[in-house]
Amino acid sequence: MNNSRDYIAVIGGGPAGLAAALSAVNAGCNRILLIERDRELGGILNQCVHDGFGTLGLGRSLTGPEYAAHYIDEVIKKPEIEIVSNTAVLSLKKNRRIIAVNQSGLLDIKPSAVILAMGCRERSRFQTVIPGFRPAGIFTAGTVQRLINIEGMLPGEKVVVLGSGDIGMIMARRLTLEGAEVRGVFEIAPRPGGLTRNIVQCLYDYNIPLHLSHTVTFIHGKKRIEGVTIAPVDQNLNPLSDKEFDVECDTLVLSVGLIPENELSREAGVELDPLTGGPFVDQHMATSVPGIYAGGNVVHVYDLVDYVTGSADKAGLGAADYIKKKLKKGSARLLPGFNVAHVIPQYLSLPLEQTLEIFLRVKEPAENVKIRLSCREQFIFEKKERIVRPSEMIKVKIPLDFINSIQRNDQITVSVE
Amino acid sequence: MTKSTVEIIHELFSDNKLDSFNLKISESKGTVFLEGNVDRWDQAVMAGHLAGSLRSVTAVVNDLMAADTVPELFIRTAGEDRLIGHADVVVIGAGVIGSAIARELSKFSLDIVLVEKESDVCCGASKANNGMVHSGIIQEPDTLRSKLNIRGNMLYENLCRELAVPFYRSSLITLIMKEEELFLLDLVKARGDALDIPIEILSREEALNLEPSLTPDLKGAFTAPSTAMTSPYKLTIAYAENAVENGVKLFLNTEVTGLKAERGKLTRVVTNRGSFTTRLCINAAGIYADKVAEMAGKREFTIHPRKGELILFDQVDFENHAKIPTGILAIGQDPYTKGGGSMVTTDGNPEWGPTAIETADREDTSVTLEGINRIIDKFNSVIPGFNPQKSIISFFAGVRAATYTEEFHIKPSASMKGLINVAGIQSPGLAAAPAIAEMVLELVAAEGFELIENKSFNPVRKGQLRFKSLPLRKKKELITRNPLYGQLVCRCEQVTEGEVLDSIHRPVPALTLDAIKRRTRIGMGRCQGGFCTPRLLLLLARELHLPLEDISKDGPGSELLLRPTKLKPD
Repeated sequence: MNNSRDYIAVIGGGPAGLAAALSAVNAGCNRILLIERDRELGGILNQCVHDGFGTLGLGRSLTGPEYAAHYIDEVIKKPEIEIVSNTAVLSLKKNRRIIAVNQSGLLDIKPSAVILAMGCRERSRFQTVIPGFRPAGIFTAGTVQRLINIEGMLPGEKVVVLGSGDIGMIMARRLTLEGAEVRGVFEIAPRPGGLTRNIVQCLYDYNIPLHLSHTVTFIHGKKRIEGVTIAPVDQNLNPLSDKEFDVECDTLVLSVGLIPENELSREAGVELDPLTGGPFVDQHMATSVPGIYAGGNVVHVYDLVDYVTGSADKAGLGAADYIKKKLKKGSARLLPGFNVAHVIPQYLSLPLEQTLEIFLRVKEPAENVKIRLSCREQFIFEKKERIVRPSEMIKVKIPLDFINSIQRNDQITVSVE
Repeated sequence: MTKSTVEIIHELFSDNKLDSFNLKISESKGTVFLEGNVDRWDQAVMAGHLAGSLRSVTAVVNDLMAADTVPELFIRTAGEDRLIGHADVVVIGAGVIGSAIARELSKFSLDIVLVEKESDVCCGASKANNGMVHSGIIQEPDTLRSKLNIRGNMLYENLCRELAVPFYRSSLITLIMKEEELFLLDLVKARGDALDIPIEILSREEALNLEPSLTPDLKGAFTAPSTAMTSPYKLTIAYAENAVENGVKLFLNTEVTGLKAERGKLTRVVTNRGSFTTRLCINAAGIYADKVAEMAGKREFTIHPRKGELILFDQVDFENHAKIPTGILAIGQDPYTKGGGSMVTTDGNPEWGPTAIETADREDTSVTLEGINRIIDKFNSVIPGFNPQKSIISFFAGVRAATYTEEFHIKPSASMKGLINVAGIQSPGLAAAPAIAEMVLELVAAEGFELIENKSFNPVRKGQLRFKSLPLRKKKELITRNPLYGQLVCRCEQVTEGEVLDSIHRPVPALTLDAIKRRTRIGMGRCQGGFCTPRLLLLLARELHLPLEDISKDGPGSELLLRPTKLKPD
């Protein structure tokens, strides 16, 4: 690493951290510290041995490790990027002071800018409030993925999957391939939580039953899980206790949601959006704390890695610009309107200088809808969309012409009608 | 003519609509025996309680069978007569009580064996307890529960200092929610004065000033400043470790299967792994204490399990939570939550509960949705600014080992000389534990044991190192000394590999995931082990020289992994 005084620290060496570091270099930053907790770069991609990564961004369908390798190869070629692996960040303060730890000691640094790229974590059995005993054999889907694909160990052979998130469905297939019997995927919502392609390729193709509007109401077994009680739920997601039935199993796999990993963001005083669980960001992925940027699933949980990479690209660029003191003045607010769960970015720093990319998730599925931006009670942009689903993120590109009327303190509502 | 105890119980039963016609009720030397059939489990429990409520009754043996309940089926583990050792004293059960007693006895020159059927100490109620060291104010005066609670509370501070166990005087605010119940405050104050328990009466405004997060609906309150919080499992581990450091031999995975006597005197304690010759045995078997007592030949009391469910919340939400533990005092309290309270653990997690549910199954540590809702409903109204649903990080249940007299049963067995039963230890058992150990020591002396001081007894235990709470300079030094303290294994609680290895190699070794968790907090954070579980499995397998599939959550039967995959990379 050269001795430039200004440098960026990237926290996390998964897809977001890798992309952010590369994009910051491409934007002219000549000193970057990439801090990774694990021994190797790549993050959770390393355990995702299935394919489907990179279809949008690279035009190829790669496995997780292949997708990671594509970026790692680039990163290690860049002399501007110093990789510090096996190093965990313990603390991040508002003034950007970072304390990290590894086997050689403590790292106590104060970079000129920080990019948060810590990714997300899985919701636990307790956060989902599944009553019953606390036996062995209850795992989140990501933990099972690591146990099987990295450690080479099968946790059990009679499996119930709760939640139809993508990793849950992918693990249902993986467990089946390993000789386990997946007795069903149960989803509390009336529709699947993951991508359509995963329902087809992971469940239908392997005859794994998917039960919508069902949930686990009790966990049986004192030492190892012996079974679960399952109940259908009504429209308000309340279990119908008179229709409960038991399913015997030795393993319960949970795929009940992901939460952006924001312990460090919170410590640094970064304002978090209760709708996403991640920080409020502007179109350059700047958080509320000057010099702290965020990219990837730490902002909100994307459905495709290509989007993670894209959002981290912006964070890298934003942080590089911040160091070059290209500061923006004033901001407008983007708000979720009708049938919109949340929208990224939540803020727009002015003046807007190029095509704006926004991401949103709908609350309810719908067909033949219009995505509309309105400002001061006037529609400023409109785009048709044939099918929208809560499980699939919607990306909208808005040319500058439509939005250069936006002024300071404007509130722009995004709705899907 | 005065009525006999049996007659009074018959009357009590009929007053409470319990058909006692078919029931056989007998009494001998203060112990009441109930036999026969009832329709429901709660009737069996009520019958036991009615009998136990009489002042003249010192114990209840309740053999009532409930038609709605599967009878307890005990498949006794096979005993192994082969002699594996001799001990002056065998203590059964390494919960907080057994461990406290073992440590107390280790102050004297005795060969002490502590046996525990589980894979770690503190596997029963001692691990699933809210950690409150009560002041003693709510206990009926002149009971053992009252006396030992008050004495135990006094002993705590010094004890926790010696054993390096977290402890703080948290105080406790108890709220009165109805105008017409404010008179209770005077009664509480009078009891406090009589028993020398400090009590302060607060007006509504004073209470709200002291703890602004409380509901403005409260009418009055009192504080009991001597109330404290500790970590029940850390205390138990510390007691057991200090006992082992002072010569006590701990046998884990060792279940007592029988007691042998000659001419009415204890000679042997038989376990699944072999037997010990001994003259004295202390039964601190918790929820199974009546079953162990029965091994002396006769049933002397019955334990009726009472489950308590607790909810733990995320540390980050502490700022919206009451800082001082809070309870409610009312006439005719909700029997399902009895006391219970909101408090903050010594690790900074807000904690609500417990419930109080009579259960036929001694090992029913399940948490029900009703239990969770009951707790949330109750304390939501006490701390309205806290959002429990959003903050839940874990929930668990413990089973109280209550007797029907609802009193501690600490006395020598009537059936076998050399056996001392320390049973019925429910709330405030944790607070009373140090005083119970003292009392048992007196009973041991009364058995004719000569107690010679153990000159080498060291009351001080070195606590386990906690990387996260060290200042930066110390962290740095530590990593220089041992780089493994720089290797993070648990991200949420920031636990390092060095600490995990420490816990595996301490005087009471941590051999399971849960055992390491209790000692290091690994997996206790908001991801609840999602991240660290695979890493911890590898560490344990490496340190214990075991294949991965033998590593368990909490002992045999709770292994986490089945077998290697078809294409295990190697």
